Amino acid sequence: MSELATLARPYASAVFKRAKETASAAKWSENLAFMSAVIGSKEISVLVDNPKVKKDKLTELLLDVSKGQIDNEGVNFLQLLLQNNRLALLPDIARLFEEQKAEDEGYIAVEVLTAFDFTKESQQKFAATLEKTLSKRVHMNVTLDKSLIGGVLVRAGDRVIDGSVRGQLQNLQKALL
Amino acid sequence: MQLNPSEISDLIKKKIENFDLSAESHTEGTVVSVTDGIVRIHGLSQAMQGEMLEFPGNAFGMALNLERDSVGAVVLGAYQHISEGDTVKCTGKILEVPIGRALLGRVVDALGNPIDGKGAIATTETAPIEKIAPGVIARQSVDQPVQTGLKSIDAMIPIGRGQRELIIGDRQTGKTAIAIDAIINQKGTGIKCIYVAIGQKRSSIANVVRKLEEHGAMDHTIVVVASASESAALQFIAPYTGCSMGEYFRDCGEDALIIYDDLTKQAWAYRQVSLLLRRPPGREAYPGDVFYLHSRLLERASRINAAEVEKLTGGKVKGKTGSLTALPIIETQGGDVSAFVPTNVISITDGQIFLESNLFNSGIRPAVNAGLSVSRVGGAAQTKIIKKLGGGTRLDLAQYRELAAFAQFASDLDESTRKQIERGQRVTELMKQNQYSPMSVAQMAVSLFAANEGFLDAVEVNKVLAFEASLLSYMKSEHAALMDTINTTGDFSDDIKQGMKTAIESFVKTHSW
Repeated sequence: MSELATLARPYASAVFKRAKETASAAKWSENLAFMSAVIGSKEISVLVDNPKVKKDKLTELLLDVSKGQIDNEGVNFLQLLLQNNRLALLPDIARLFEEQKAEDEGYIAVEVLTAFDFTKESQQKFAATLEKTLSKRVHMNVTLDKSLIGGVLVRAGDRVIDGSVRGQLQNLQKALL
Repeated sequence: MQLNPSEISDLIKKKIENFDLSAESHTEGTVVSVTDGIVRIHGLSQAMQGEMLEFPGNAFGMALNLERDSVGAVVLGAYQHISEGDTVKCTGKILEVPIGRALLGRVVDALGNPIDGKGAIATTETAPIEKIAPGVIARQSVDQPVQTGLKSIDAMIPIGRGQRELIIGDRQTGKTAIAIDAIINQKGTGIKCIYVAIGQKRSSIANVVRKLEEHGAMDHTIVVVASASESAALQFIAPYTGCSMGEYFRDCGEDALIIYDDLTKQAWAYRQVSLLLRRPPGREAYPGDVFYLHSRLLERASRINAAEVEKLTGGKVKGKTGSLTALPIIETQGGDVSAFVPTNVISITDGQIFLESNLFNSGIRPAVNAGLSVSRVGGAAQTKIIKKLGGGTRLDLAQYRELAAFAQFASDLDESTRKQIERGQRVTELMKQNQYSPMSVAQMAVSLFAANEGFLDAVEVNKVLAFEASLLSYMKSEHAALMDTINTTGDFSDDIKQGMKTAIESFVKTHSW
């Protein structure tokens, strides 16, 4: 995983630089998401690793699949990856690209788990508080998780803010034993 | 320890009362791989070098490799329950161990947990295992002795408080025996001892602890154990743990003695950890920082001045210096001191006690090779009387060694050569000493004086030890006052010289041995 990230990083930063030059970050984001979805699908991933499938056949197939879905530069990028045998890196490249994009635009993707649904009002209030603590704009992705029992759990990158009843019970267990 | 149920519920109540309910913020990562106690973790971009990491199942690890996308960590203890995908939390703390006076008399593992079945250790203080050694300004030179109670060492290779003296030799040459004798001899001197056992059999550790208990030496001793069955990570950190415990006494203005038995095994453990962390191997497959591994540890053994002690104790202890003396042990293979780890540690320490297996096998125990053993700073710390009398011993032995080989072929020797050889034989014999029978300064002084003044020349070589034993018991019964003066003052005045001379003369006239 970490080794793949090291290999994927130069590709991701190259793509990001190109996207900035041409101001097409959103389009590239779509391109990469589509390509990694294609590579991630069962049918295609079998072919990618199969030595019996010739490279030109694979290229043809992939270009056919993605026709109309990705732009010209996207096609070029796909061919480059094929040439270098680095198709498997696509999901990592997409992830790193999104990270760089988020950092550049000054926001952070935050995963919020809550035990009860937010009201619209409280969600806005919560987002405002989060933006203050993380000192960044946040893109919240709220999921309902009953196993928390109560409260919320916030994941922003590596950082976890655990205000859930489950977490507190776990801490209590640790303190007592 | 008996607790009644109401006490237990009180304890639980108290814990619940004091429980912190605020939302907790921490950094989290995911386990990518687990290989032989080494865990690769994705995420944890905020982790510090040497930080304690929390794994599920109340296991802890230490971050050792900080890379761009991952962290390499060692698990301290069992790692079998950790699997790929587990979450790992940063604790924000560098690895710490309990320190304090309550540890004396206890046997603990490398993390400071008691393993002697005597219950919890009542100590509140902790200290990080890795600390920077005291700086130049905080230090004071070594000028007080640590008496090991062994004639051959105290007379020829004196050790001072705050010194680092290496004990080096092959297996089965009595390295541990010297260390244990030194611990036993610290009884009543106020020097606290820490014995760190690394990679040894549990049975030998149990033996050492039993011997210390038998001689009443456990009261001033902490035993830190990372036995051969424990993980390499624990064997690697055990010396640092012991050192932190010893530093506590040093920083309180007291004296402490720490024994690392042995650093060869620690280097092996570190090599294992490093190779599994995929650090590049160097000479003998050790990683590049194996010198720093030992130098940063031994540099912490030091003597600090009164001003520093006052600063560290917040003004509570005034006018007292503190010291931590280290006796690291290194095991050589076939007497090869030019291997990687022995040369490193020889160059770090302030001298070495070199033990040889052929001396050991020919019955010279402790098997100290007087020619190769040195103490670079201990001379300044030696008791005056031993310094005066011990100087002759070293010379006698050196001359004897030179002549001994040559004398084997010569049938008739001139008078002075023969005398020197005979003196040498007797001094060599006199340097023998039984295990677990440390001698006081006065006893050593009398023995050395007898040799220097030629009283031994009339004694047969195989009777030297018997002569010494009955002389010492005679001195104890008939000249107790003189012995006490020597022990308390440590001076070699004319009075004392004359007193010893007349005492030994009357002993020779009236006693048999």
